[in-house]
Amino acid sequence: MLQKSEFFNPIDKSEQDSEFIAMEPRSFWHDVWDRFRSNRRALIGLIVLLFIVLLAVLGPLFSPYPYDGMGTEVNCGPGAAHWFGTDALGRDLFTRVLYGIRISLFVGFVSTLINCAIGVLYGGVAGYVGGRVDAVMMRFVDVLYAVPSLLYIILLMMMFGSNVGSIMVGMCISGWVGIARLMRTQVISLKGREYVLAAYTEGAGPARILFKHMFSNAMSPILVQATLAIPQAIFQEAFLSFIGMGISAPQASLGTLAQDARMYMAIYPHQMVCPIAMICIIIFALNFISEGLSEALDPTNSR
Amino acid sequence: MEKKTKETKPVVSIRHAKKYFLAGRHLFRPSDYVKAVDDVSFDIMPGETVGLVGESGCGKSTLARTVIRIYEPSAGGIFYHGADISHLSNARLRPFRTKMQMIFQDPYASLNPRYTVGEIIGEPMQIAHMGGKDEREGRVQKLLQQVGLKPDHISRYPHEFSGGQRQRIGIARTLALDPDFIICDEPISALDVSIQAQIINLLEKIQDENGLSYLFIAHDLTMVRHISHKIGVMYLGHLLEFGDADEVYENPLHPYTRALISAAPVPDPEQARTRHRIKLTGEVPSPIHAPAGCPFCTRCPECRPECLLAPPVMANQNGHKVACYKYV
Ligand SMILES: Nc1ncnc2c1ncn2[C@@H]1O[C@H](COP(=O)(O)OP(=O)(O)O)[C@@H](O)[C@H]1O
Ligand code: SF4
Ligand SMILES: [Mg+2]
Repeated sequence: MLQKSEFFNPIDKSEQDSEFIAMEPRSFWHDVWDRFRSNRRALIGLIVLLFIVLLAVLGPLFSPYPYDGMGTEVNCGPGAAHWFGTDALGRDLFTRVLYGIRISLFVGFVSTLINCAIGVLYGGVAGYVGGRVDAVMMRFVDVLYAVPSLLYIILLMMMFGSNVGSIMVGMCISGWVGIARLMRTQVISLKGREYVLAAYTEGAGPARILFKHMFSNAMSPILVQATLAIPQAIFQEAFLSFIGMGISAPQASLGTLAQDARMYMAIYPHQMVCPIAMICIIIFALNFISEGLSEALDPTNSR
Repeated sequence: MEKKTKETKPVVSIRHAKKYFLAGRHLFRPSDYVKAVDDVSFDIMPGETVGLVGESGCGKSTLARTVIRIYEPSAGGIFYHGADISHLSNARLRPFRTKMQMIFQDPYASLNPRYTVGEIIGEPMQIAHMGGKDEREGRVQKLLQQVGLKPDHISRYPHEFSGGQRQRIGIARTLALDPDFIICDEPISALDVSIQAQIINLLEKIQDENGLSYLFIAHDLTMVRHISHKIGVMYLGHLLEFGDADEVYENPLHPYTRALISAAPVPDPEQARTRHRIKLTGEVPSPIHAPAGCPFCTRCPECRPECLLAPPVMANQNGHKVACYKYV
């Protein structure tokens, strides 16, 4: 007869928790980064964007030409001395594009950051407090949203001049509305989660519940929306500058550069191609990042 | 009866507690309310476990959340060591928060997935400004050991644990502030059967070690009998029967309790074949349009005319309470 122990041996005490020994603790963001990294397009987008940011920040320091320094070589083509050529006033186009990237990225990132901050705060409070306060707060949002942001920007420009500040403030007057709505729905759906109730029974105050427990879990869709908002803001600024309502000379954004080159488009197409190509590259890179991020944040929701 | 009748004061008293949720407003008739908890009263003594049973949707969780003041009672009172906490503001509840805690049903939803075990268990201490960072960490490690986990699990994230282990983390969190009363809202019903007994044993061990009182919620009467000193039976927001666990189980008075017990599985097949089963017919009425009389009257095999008129009052038979016209 077979002994029972020939088939069944009690396992070693040390083997019982073998599943824990091998792995390092893995946070959610750790996993997100791994998934993001394995997406080639997203990774290329990120590298390209980082390269452009580095170029825009450091490039002008090494450029021999100031962005508004006029020279005698007017309208020359791309070459060793002027990589992107010069414009009608003899200014080095490469240097001007670098400054243009600075302004475009600044407008895109800072306006989005401000919009996110306002939106998270506003939507969070509305969703958390709920009831009548929520209803009133959201009606106000509807009113803001009903007016196109272009109107705010034009108004501000008439009052405070055509500068980066006017554009940014104009973009932020109603730009946070989308994030606020998103945050509000997230907060409402998270309200009944047991870990939120647990925090509540531990005596956590509203700020802790809202900005620690709810925000940490509402962040994914907000992050995705924010990375989509950055290229939108960049595009909007470029568009405004292109139709002549943006940043005024001698400062120049990529849109202004394209606008300046419009007159010489037939003769010196490179003056227009360079800034526009740069806008395209930035927007593509940001869209790839956004797409990769949304897949990395929620692997079940691959577009 | 030879039960120890210690004359002590209750840890928690529930007095005629009601919790109604607004279900709909109407122009020409009164608003609809979900009467999730309707006039429930009982006491929980020091070191005692009160088991609360009833079908899903009968208001157990709502009662639990009202007792621990996630919800504010619509009427009636909740007393903690004699102090009325029914309508205290959030800020004034804070001292009580450290003493009353809750273990939730779903171990996958009750731990914030973005934080480490150390942060989760340490948070109650952080909120209560207890000790420095190192001190808290030391205590978290001790708590992890007390619930059968390892101190070096402190830096791991919830998703790295199984359901049973997560529930242990949830238990450790409730113990962080050294409470004397813990509500367990179906703490094992989301777990694998093989794990359930471990968690029950852990809860009993902790009760002995820390001298805790439990309000233990379940929908399975057999399991509740095993760990409870007293049992309460809920139906449609009402408490129908309340008494010593063995007494309620062996000598159920209320027709609903009898039906529940007769429906419970028994281990002995011979007994299972021969015993008398009471079949319940019909559906549980909606808590919005509950019967005017006895809440159980639509399904009660022994319903009488007077049952339909007004809800029966709780009758007390030597500490065994029952709400039924048969015993008035
Ligand atoms: N926040 C709420 N708003 C409205 N109705 C609720 C709410 N919570 C619970 N209910 C209702 O109250 C009743 C009791 O629910 P619950 O306490 O969760 O029952 P149990 O825990 O016994 O399954 C159910 O009919 C449920 O639909
Ligand atoms: S009061 Fe009447 S209807 Fe209700 S349980 Fe008792 S006998 Fe049945
Ligand atoms: Mg429940």
